[in-house]
Amino acid sequence: MLFNSIDFALFLPIVFLLYWFVTNKSLKLQNLLLVAASYLFYGWWDWRFLFLILFSTLVDYTVGIALSKEKEKNKRLVLIWISILVNLGLLGFFKYYNFFLDNFTTAFSFFGRDINSSSLNIILPVGISFYTFQTLSYTIDVYKGKLTPTKDFVAFSAFVSFFPQLVAGPIERATNLLPQITSKRVFNPSEAKDGLYLILWGLFKKIVIADSCAVYVNEIFSNYEQMNSLTLLLGAVYFAFQIYGDFSGYSDIAIGTSKLFGVHLMRNFNFPYFSRDIAEFWRKWHISLSTWFRDYLYIPLGGSKVSKLINLRNIFIIFLVSGFWHGANWTFIVWGGLHALYFIPLSLTNRNRKNLNIVSQGKMIPSFRELYSMLLTFFLVLIGWIFFRADSVAIAFDYIQKLFAFNFKSGFQYLSTERYAPELMILIIGFIIVEWSAREKEHPFFGKWIHLKIIATLVSIILLGVYSNVTDFIYFQF
Amino acid sequence: MKQFLTYLFSLVALTLALLYCCDFLYTQVYINATPRNKLQYIIETENENFDVVFLGSSRVANHIDTELFENLSNKKTINLGVEGAGLNDNLLQLKLLIAKNTVKTIYLQIDTNFESENPSNIVISEAMPFISNPIVKNHVKKYFNNFNKLTYIPFYRYAINDPKIGFREFFLSLINKKPRIAPSNGFAPKFGNRTPLRGHNLPITIKQENSVLNEFIEICKKNEIQLLLYTSPYCSSTNNLNYFEKLTLKIPGLINYSKGFNDTLFFNCGHLNNKGAQEFTNLLYITTKNKLISDAKK
Repeated sequence: MLFNSIDFALFLPIVFLLYWFVTNKSLKLQNLLLVAASYLFYGWWDWRFLFLILFSTLVDYTVGIALSKEKEKNKRLVLIWISILVNLGLLGFFKYYNFFLDNFTTAFSFFGRDINSSSLNIILPVGISFYTFQTLSYTIDVYKGKLTPTKDFVAFSAFVSFFPQLVAGPIERATNLLPQITSKRVFNPSEAKDGLYLILWGLFKKIVIADSCAVYVNEIFSNYEQMNSLTLLLGAVYFAFQIYGDFSGYSDIAIGTSKLFGVHLMRNFNFPYFSRDIAEFWRKWHISLSTWFRDYLYIPLGGSKVSKLINLRNIFIIFLVSGFWHGANWTFIVWGGLHALYFIPLSLTNRNRKNLNIVSQGKMIPSFRELYSMLLTFFLVLIGWIFFRADSVAIAFDYIQKLFAFNFKSGFQYLSTERYAPELMILIIGFIIVEWSAREKEHPFFGKWIHLKIIATLVSIILLGVYSNVTDFIYFQF
Repeated sequence: MKQFLTYLFSLVALTLALLYCCDFLYTQVYINATPRNKLQYIIETENENFDVVFLGSSRVANHIDTELFENLSNKKTINLGVEGAGLNDNLLQLKLLIAKNTVKTIYLQIDTNFESENPSNIVISEAMPFISNPIVKNHVKKYFNNFNKLTYIPFYRYAINDPKIGFREFFLSLINKKPRIAPSNGFAPKFGNRTPLRGHNLPITIKQENSVLNEFIEICKKNEIQLLLYTSPYCSSTNNLNYFEKLTLKIPGLINYSKGFNDTLFFNCGHLNNKGAQEFTNLLYITTKNKLISDAKK
């Protein structure tokens, strides 16, 4: 079920009313409702993959209980490895099987040995990368003694399958979400109202910004060979806003929906395009994933408290794995590697934690230095997005080469969608201004003009939204 | 909770009110604006006597030089070909055209559009502002399974057709911006030659019959309109060109021009360029002028 669908618009109020008016007397019943609603939400897409979630839930629930009973170090180690192998094994099979097979075949043929291989027609289960990491955080935290495992299977199932964040995060830690699931929730009207605002803003980002950009991005990237440098630059800028609007929009709706149920999810985006360096960008972009990798990969590898050389290795590992997490394509690996290259100079000079405060806090406009840093960071991110969006690494390089050919012949180009490439720019500029003014909050609905802002957002969603071609959220494929 | 639910309902009510307002605003602008597409033009044209009307897809819009045909034949001519339009769309155009105007001869372009009876969503999206028009309403009711949503959910018809009648088109209509192609003429020439021409794959099999075409023929008979069916040229690398031989057997009287045009006269394999369009218009006039003259004698 998509957040931006009529189905969800009917599903959400029904679950909300049942949750607060029918099952509110019993926590067990409320959790049972959450599990049923979550399974319905996921099964709407493909019910067969519910068995996969159920299997993952059963394995990690059992491992959690077993870990609490087992005191012997080696046996505990075996248990945690069972959880890791089962979860990553499922992820690896569904997401990476064909990728590894294709690459092995290519490598063997390169050395003159042809091997017969047949790739499988595997459907990638939506959200597998998200819920796999979420359940892994549970067993790892139980193993490390940070969390007491729950014996309540229904509550644990609700933690794994909690529908607002099941298919595209935020990837919640068991230490944050599970205690909320196992304790009674109280309805808080102001929190719920805040949830509505987040849903509204998330819908705006998805339907108006991301989907409008998608129309242009698809056209420009599909025909990049015929486009001039200005149009290619716009194509990359539009993709930057498409992926931001799409993914942060999804996260806002997820967080807002959770608030309606009295559950607080972690923040996933914090205005990343106003970052002054790449380190700040990664503290603000897909926060739940970057902190997951930091806590469960980077720190166990030694983090930064090791020699410079090992630290360099760790940085590369975390960025490459992060890239590979996004998809079974070399483009994502190169994207991750590129960000590692951006990050390393900051890390080596200990400047990676320089910009921890909010940019231009309390000021209307940034200083020239801040503006320069933000634009430079955005430009670096932009180059990375070209790899992220392109179908292959070769295409990405070709795109970049044409972008820097500085061919401005024929100005902005006319697209076959009967639009000129710069038309969307006005909308994007307006969006940047609104985001800038709200950068110290979670969303722009605050202050004395709040009602006017709500009306303006609703009108924009109605008039400027893209409804003819309802698209999946980009991160569903990851 | 009560306070929150009240707030929630007021938001829903506000959204509904906005949807009604936007729907009303869009409809008024489209109804009162200078026509920016051919369907709008047809709906808003009254008491005109057209001698010759060309109907079809882009292979009509790009191929028939209206002015040239008018000069050659000395007959009032209009090109109502629309890019992406199918026979179903042409049927709606015909129904709307003859409701308030008279037409003597229609040239209907037939090619692979014979394979489909469904509306293309192109012409019909342009008809959405006029859904209260009985002809449009009946047509949509007959061929669209989301008729109720289109008719009764405010702004739904505009939302799902946003590429054609969304905010951009609304804004251009509001400021009365002239379209690139004047609907009153309708010829949209293509320039240049995209070599090498990539050949089309025409269907291997052919549909038994096309009920939409049958209805089209019936309406023309009933209204004493001379109907001339023809096929426009394709480039030499088109595959399965014998499709048109099968089509000629299905439709007696179909004039087949699919072969014989030099590849330099094409913009791409299915579309002639400006020079090709002029040659084709000339050829079409020469080969059918007797029919036009006999029509004039009537």
